[in-house]
Amino acid sequence: MPYLFVAPNMFIFFTFIIWPAIRGFRISFFDSIDGRTFTPVGTGNYRTIFGDPTVASVAKNTATYVIFYVLISTFLATALALVVNEQKFAKGFFRAIIFLPVMLSPIVVGLIWNDVLDRKVGPLNSLLQALGGGSPGWLVEPKLGMIAVIFVGVWVHIGFYSIILLAGLQGIDRSLLEAASMDGATRAQIIRTIILPLLKPTTLVIIILSTIHGFQSFDFIYTLTGGGPLGATTLIVQYIYDSAFQTPIQYGLGSAAGVVLFMIIFAFTALNFLVGKKREAI
Amino acid sequence: MKIQKLRSKLAITLSLVLTAGLVATGLPAAHADTVGLKPTAAQLTAWKGKEITYYFYNDSQAELDTTKAQIADFEKLTGAKVKLDVIPYTSLDTQLQARLAAGNVPDVARLNNPGLYIKDSLDLEQYFSRKYAAEFIKGSTLQVTDPTTKKLIGVPYDLSMNGPIINVDQFKKAGVAVPTSWNWAELIAAAKKVRTANGTEYAFAMDKSGHRFSTVMSQFGAFMVDKNQKNVLPTSKFRAEKSLKMITDLYKADLAPRDLWIGTGTKYASPIAVFIGQQVPVFFSGNFNLATLVKDAKFNFQVVPNPKELNGGGWPGGKFLVAFKASKTPDLAAYFLHYLADAAQMDQMDKNCFWLPTRNDVVAKGVAYPSRQLDMSIYLADTAKTPAAAFGIQSVPTLTGNIYNKLRDLMTEVMAGKITAKQAIQTQTEFIDAQLATLRK
Repeated sequence: MPYLFVAPNMFIFFTFIIWPAIRGFRISFFDSIDGRTFTPVGTGNYRTIFGDPTVASVAKNTATYVIFYVLISTFLATALALVVNEQKFAKGFFRAIIFLPVMLSPIVVGLIWNDVLDRKVGPLNSLLQALGGGSPGWLVEPKLGMIAVIFVGVWVHIGFYSIILLAGLQGIDRSLLEAASMDGATRAQIIRTIILPLLKPTTLVIIILSTIHGFQSFDFIYTLTGGGPLGATTLIVQYIYDSAFQTPIQYGLGSAAGVVLFMIIFAFTALNFLVGKKREAI
Repeated sequence: MKIQKLRSKLAITLSLVLTAGLVATGLPAAHADTVGLKPTAAQLTAWKGKEITYYFYNDSQAELDTTKAQIADFEKLTGAKVKLDVIPYTSLDTQLQARLAAGNVPDVARLNNPGLYIKDSLDLEQYFSRKYAAEFIKGSTLQVTDPTTKKLIGVPYDLSMNGPIINVDQFKKAGVAVPTSWNWAELIAAAKKVRTANGTEYAFAMDKSGHRFSTVMSQFGAFMVDKNQKNVLPTSKFRAEKSLKMITDLYKADLAPRDLWIGTGTKYASPIAVFIGQQVPVFFSGNFNLATLVKDAKFNFQVVPNPKELNGGGWPGGKFLVAFKASKTPDLAAYFLHYLADAAQMDQMDKNCFWLPTRNDVVAKGVAYPSRQLDMSIYLADTAKTPAAAFGIQSVPTLTGNIYNKLRDLMTEVMAGKITAKQAIQTQTEFIDAQLATLRK
């Protein structure tokens, strides 16, 4: 009987996740320019991935993005959660404001920030100029392009992480905080020695989730920079997309890159699982 | 007012003379084999209630509206249903490739890169005989001819012509006469002067496209592939470098919208919004923008002749109609394609959307555009001036997209100062060699 209840979900999961994944893995050993005729190439696509200087650059971009995205997201989300948790006035309103970007379509996010960051007519540079600054080429200079993409990535997801951390904060026993306060601990001491250690499990979840999100980032980046300037914001998912769907079309190469991404994300998911298990054991 | 009327009359006359001239100068007369083709009673019975899908993209609202009206007429004529799938231009090939791979194949498609689908396309000669190709302008069917079987697998739906469009109001304000002929140095000088006088952000803007830039290369006498599928870029590399440097220098100097080109990665981008926003007086694009400009531009604009260096004229392009083998009703799909590309529908589409015709009979008759007649006559004149060598790249229909996109990406690198124009042309030469080698495998 229980199998009958999970059958519809399993059917959908198998049809749209498992079966395409198996097909993708198989296609990674072929070359195809049209998705219908396949020429076997053995491990040729994997050798291309690990030998192509473009892939080295994509890997570097992805690593840079993920590291900064995870660090900044975790730090800011924790800070925001701490502030919101202490708020007495218009709690719901501020939580809604923080969460708002999460509800926006990533395509819309990319388009909005593309306008905001425009070098010549964007409001950000207009403001900078009014304050006596220059007109940085956020979407033209490779280094600034990466900064812009990290910033927008954090902006989009920070509400989601903050809400999770807020739930973690609210799970902390208030009596511990009150006892520390009565013993004369300052606010900073309470945060450093009580709240943050107790929030560690939730923070770990945020780190794992943001790492996975970081590796999967594509949609808003594609509309914001298209992977430019000069490929500086081309991350691994866009590399998969470009290989498979942009001329010259190489479905096999795209699939092989997809398999590599799967392995990376699988490693992080496994890590998450193991950490969870270890925590349960303690 | 009188001058305007006179200009309009002159333009109509010129357009009719030029279109007739296209036929007179070496183009074959129309064959009447499929002209006026009507479905038989048996076909009408078989098609009643059947549905086909038309995979379509549009550059302007007028194209969509006209297509919907023509589909309604087709449904009345045949009793069949046509499902219109409107696809964004930027994902035209991506979505179609995925649909083909998944077996969700449309019956008919409007495409700009039909070479990618040669193996999937329906052989039209089995429905309309071999002479059907002769109803279209000579050379325009090259991209829809199977290079192996030499069969017609689609039809040219409209001919596009690249060239500059100027903001007349800004030219007048700057005291710069609207050019009737010019070269690139004169174009750039005029654009800079108009920019200074009007305080616009930019002087010049071009679509982010290797196809559009090929026009400039052609004008300087540089070509990439000839009609024998040979890489001819090495024979004209200095001219190619010169033209590439000239255009990329404009972007480097912020005289052209660098953000739009460099900041959009591997995507196509059009600066039409910059032109409509009156932030650039010279917009280098093509006739496919006219319908949008007529609707949205709040200023006087005009098409002006392409600059002439070694060559004048523009660069051939256009859109194609293709029916697919996998259609459940291939005869209905073929008939729908034929219907869309017949003289009456093409004439209507050309008039409403400022398209250039591809049928010999429509060209011979001349299209009486309801407005912008002078603009269209300039495009037609440039079509006639386009050198024959410009059609060479169409001999490799499966590779044109790759070659144009690589050129576009190399231009991006030059604009960003990562490589020189010389290195870009050298890399492009090697890329073309590698691409052509795939044909011989």
